[in-house]
Amino acid sequence: MMKGRPAARAAVKRRVWVFLILAILLVALAVAAPALAPNDPNRTNSDFMKIAPCAQFPLGTDKLGRCVLSRVLMGARTSIFSSLCVVAASFAFGTVLGVLCGWYGGALDELVMRAVDILLAFPQMVLAIAVAGVLGGSLLNAMIAMGITGWTLYARLARSAVLTLKNEPFIAAEKLSGCGTPRLLCRHVLPNIFGPLLVNAATQIGTMMIGIAGLSFLGIGVTPPQAEWGSMINEARAYIQLAPWTVLAPGGAMLITVMIFNYLGDSVRDLMDVSGQSHE
Amino acid sequence: MKKTLALILALVMVLALCACGTASAPAATAAGGGTDQTVTLAESFAYPSLDAHKDYYGWYTSIYGMTETLFKMDDNSVAQPWLAESAESDGSTWTVTLRDGICFSNGKAVTADMVVKNLQRAAKENDRFAYLAGYEMKATGDKTLTITTPEVYPTLKNDLASPELAIMDLDDTTDFDKAPICTGPFVISSFEPEGTVKVVRNEKYWGGDVKLAGATFLYMQEDDPKQMAMQNGEIDGYTSVTAAALETYRKAPDTYKVSVVPATRLQFYALNENRLDAAVRQAINLTVDKNAIAKYLNGTVTAATGPFGTATAYGKVTVPAVDTAKAKSLLEADGYTLNANGIYEKGGKALSLNICYYAARSLDTLATLIQEQLKAIGIDSTLTVEEDPDGTYITTGDFDIALYCMIADKAGDPYYFVNAVLRQSSRWAIAGFHSDACEALINQLQYETDTAKRAELANQIVQLSIDDNAFGYVGLFNKTTVLRAGVTGCSETCPFDFYEIDANTSKTA
Amino acid sequence: MGRTIGKRLLQLIPVLLGLTLLVYALMDLAPGDPAAKRLQAQGVAVSEETLDAAREEMGLNRPFLVRYGDWLLGVLHGDLGTSYRDGLPVAAKLWKGLKNTLVLTLASLALSVAVSVPLGVYTAVRQNRAGDYVIRFLSFVGASMPNFLISVLLMYFFCIRVKIFPVIAKSSVQGLFLPALALAVPLMSRFVRQIRAEVLEELSKPYVAGARARGVKERYVLYKNVLHNTLSAVITIVGLSVGGLLGGSVVVETIFSWRGIGKLAMDSITARDYPVIQGFVLWMAVIFVAINLATDLAYRALDPRVDGLEGGR
Repeated sequence: MMKGRPAARAAVKRRVWVFLILAILLVALAVAAPALAPNDPNRTNSDFMKIAPCAQFPLGTDKLGRCVLSRVLMGARTSIFSSLCVVAASFAFGTVLGVLCGWYGGALDELVMRAVDILLAFPQMVLAIAVAGVLGGSLLNAMIAMGITGWTLYARLARSAVLTLKNEPFIAAEKLSGCGTPRLLCRHVLPNIFGPLLVNAATQIGTMMIGIAGLSFLGIGVTPPQAEWGSMINEARAYIQLAPWTVLAPGGAMLITVMIFNYLGDSVRDLMDVSGQSHE
Repeated sequence: MKKTLALILALVMVLALCACGTASAPAATAAGGGTDQTVTLAESFAYPSLDAHKDYYGWYTSIYGMTETLFKMDDNSVAQPWLAESAESDGSTWTVTLRDGICFSNGKAVTADMVVKNLQRAAKENDRFAYLAGYEMKATGDKTLTITTPEVYPTLKNDLASPELAIMDLDDTTDFDKAPICTGPFVISSFEPEGTVKVVRNEKYWGGDVKLAGATFLYMQEDDPKQMAMQNGEIDGYTSVTAAALETYRKAPDTYKVSVVPATRLQFYALNENRLDAAVRQAINLTVDKNAIAKYLNGTVTAATGPFGTATAYGKVTVPAVDTAKAKSLLEADGYTLNANGIYEKGGKALSLNICYYAARSLDTLATLIQEQLKAIGIDSTLTVEEDPDGTYITTGDFDIALYCMIADKAGDPYYFVNAVLRQSSRWAIAGFHSDACEALINQLQYETDTAKRAELANQIVQLSIDDNAFGYVGLFNKTTVLRAGVTGCSETCPFDFYEIDANTSKTA
Repeated sequence: MGRTIGKRLLQLIPVLLGLTLLVYALMDLAPGDPAAKRLQAQGVAVSEETLDAAREEMGLNRPFLVRYGDWLLGVLHGDLGTSYRDGLPVAAKLWKGLKNTLVLTLASLALSVAVSVPLGVYTAVRQNRAGDYVIRFLSFVGASMPNFLISVLLMYFFCIRVKIFPVIAKSSVQGLFLPALALAVPLMSRFVRQIRAEVLEELSKPYVAGARARGVKERYVLYKNVLHNTLSAVITIVGLSVGGLLGGSVVVETIFSWRGIGKLAMDSITARDYPVIQGFVLWMAVIFVAINLATDLAYRALDPRVDGLEGGR
């Protein structure tokens, strides 16, 4: 990794663009899903149960006779949007909190960091299961369950970045020249800490997707008949010998999507590195 | 004189021991002696103790072939003599006569006194049998005992078939949790709490020759490992076979013997009379297609008419056939019209129902299917899954359609279900089913001693609940068993879950 | 160092109190009755009187704070209570589950480290060549697959298709392999990339250039200096993963019927077995803090240049 070499920078930038476009394509696919789905994803059909891929059902049907392709497309909607939502919310909440803690310190800082300790002093998945179990099974509750620990990452990162930045000379200079705190935070602090936070956000999308799918797999996420990749895999795993496409289709879709977002996150991190931004 | 007395006493004791050792009971079939074969079966539960009186542990000691009760439920849900020969009632006093020659695995004879002590212990150890403590039980002879109940209690004989009321040797057992001394064809050889259980033949079994030399029970909760172990030849059989596995086994009928019998676990729904009027309820019941649902559930469920199997005397009720045209005309006559989305609406409000269920026993599939069927005729619905139905929708009554699953026929008698669900005082009354006629019939059922009359009353009661469109009885779970070819006698034809191996279980290599 | 340990342990107490109170309150708010769950385990419905009697017996009718206080008192005396489900002591159940999960965790970590360290070094040394790309691609695939999918596929291929392993393990090692592998795949994928990044960073440092200039053999440089400095990174990521593994293996434990603590927690939550849940929360919190502490200390021991920023990194 040679810092600052223009050729390397260009290559990395290209990679970021490639994966960004792929990610946008995925989102577009998710948005257009209802139009693209060949059949009604919820329509059960006792005459067509567990049929192998064919013309009418390009990816076959599941145990209730529903079109797998349609469900995978609708599942894309559910999975992608819910993870984006959770990540966006965690990002916003965690960053704001982290910046405030780093900047002001004191009692607020202590309180929030203790809360973070408490939340992280517990296996994430089990906490999510407990919350989802208590609130009941639904997509919203699954998102809340995953979000409860999701913001801590950003809070910690933002806080430590702000702590380092606080002592930089240019901040002192701005303060001296009469820059108000809100302006200072928005115009000078935030842009400088954005980089590493963004990287984490991109990678977290994949983790959130897997987390929500995991909860749905355990039966405490999405409610039927809503299509979601995790619950589809769960419903289909008993039939893996008789109808493997019911597992492989949502599994494959999930794999590709998460990979694209992970690659995106990775490329953004490379870009930050190459551009000389420290992310420690 | 003393010497002669001693001789006679000795002779009597020897004779008694002989009587215990040989099969004097006509029920035992001793077709060939014991073999060296053992079977390996997988179970979905494994408990931390073998104390049959506690919790549901008795179900498993019965499955393991270790414990027996006074009566046994047969394939038609009738209580048959087992350790007891008969039970006669006279008003509120029951007289139970024990069979001759029954003894524990240590050779000791089973006396009426020991039976009474067992029943009293069960009342003490088990919350669900605490009511026995209120009964006056005493041994009136070596082989007879009387039970006097405060009111007439016609179903005592059936209750005595509950596996928790196993008869154990309370005097000689030192460790109830790990080594209880019981009467069954097998005795414990190694016990891993919540793990693997191994039993071996009871050499002193009162019921004759025991074919198997022993058995191993593995604890496997998940369905996939059970199926794979079966296919790999690692186990000889298991119950609660899933629909997917059934399909796989049916493809190789020479290797696997699949057995499907309607059992006692009922899937049903309650329609909230406080929210849905008669027309809507009737429309719903005319739309839900139980046969289609059974088809989707692929062999694991039999479509039901009432809460009890149609083979039982008290399962004879009639349900109108599925008629979606009539359902639609009923809704329209009630003032509903189809809107642009194809959903019925009245007064600007679309007919959208809240179907509540919990994720167990295929209720999630059931909910999805009912939703689809209703949608097809123009009734919209949302599904609400709760983790705990008893703490949520059944207590609050916040539902339009509430799905539930429970054992309807606990012991070969209809009163249990009727009392738990259809009575005014039951928690299901929150669904709004009120019928004085029904209540009167239930009160009659409670004290009716004639079995045929009981069946007739039950049929009338259930029919009332059907006619009022208060409930819909969707399906009865099948007891699905798969056994390796050559293994027989694992209670695969008996609808009750708490029997598995016995003296006649055999395996031909 | 002693001050840090002391400070951390002291901070642990309010965390534990807060956590256990929170969880107890959560469980209380949740619908669901432990008495009903126990008595209706096989689907046989029981009467209200029976349920009431059971609730009385289990002490469930007492007010929330009384029950919490009672539990707390018990904990201070070293008694975690008995399970609502089967009356067995909570500590014994947790210990059994924890042992099994620890075995699984250690096995999967060992497997991951054994595979990812050589692979990570390899891809760094052979940067941007074919081998690098292939391994990096595979690591992305591995990191992107949910562990339940991996478990389902592994079970299918190894038990049915290829039949290497029996479904019912004959010995613990045999039964351990598949679940450990299922857990190891995402770990390996992450580790490989992180080790690669660390090694690359080390290789670009001046001292390496200096050693090369002096004619020191590449392999010597690699083993003696680079790996040593990478070790601290390995320790950090291992430490960070242990926590997640200890609790997050619920799905894998369920699919492979591995009686670990994650599965125990899940089953207890479903059965509303409060004493076990509380005990689990307590133990896990202590373990997590201990692991974080150990990781931090090890990190600092290996790299004295770093001064620990509280809450940083």
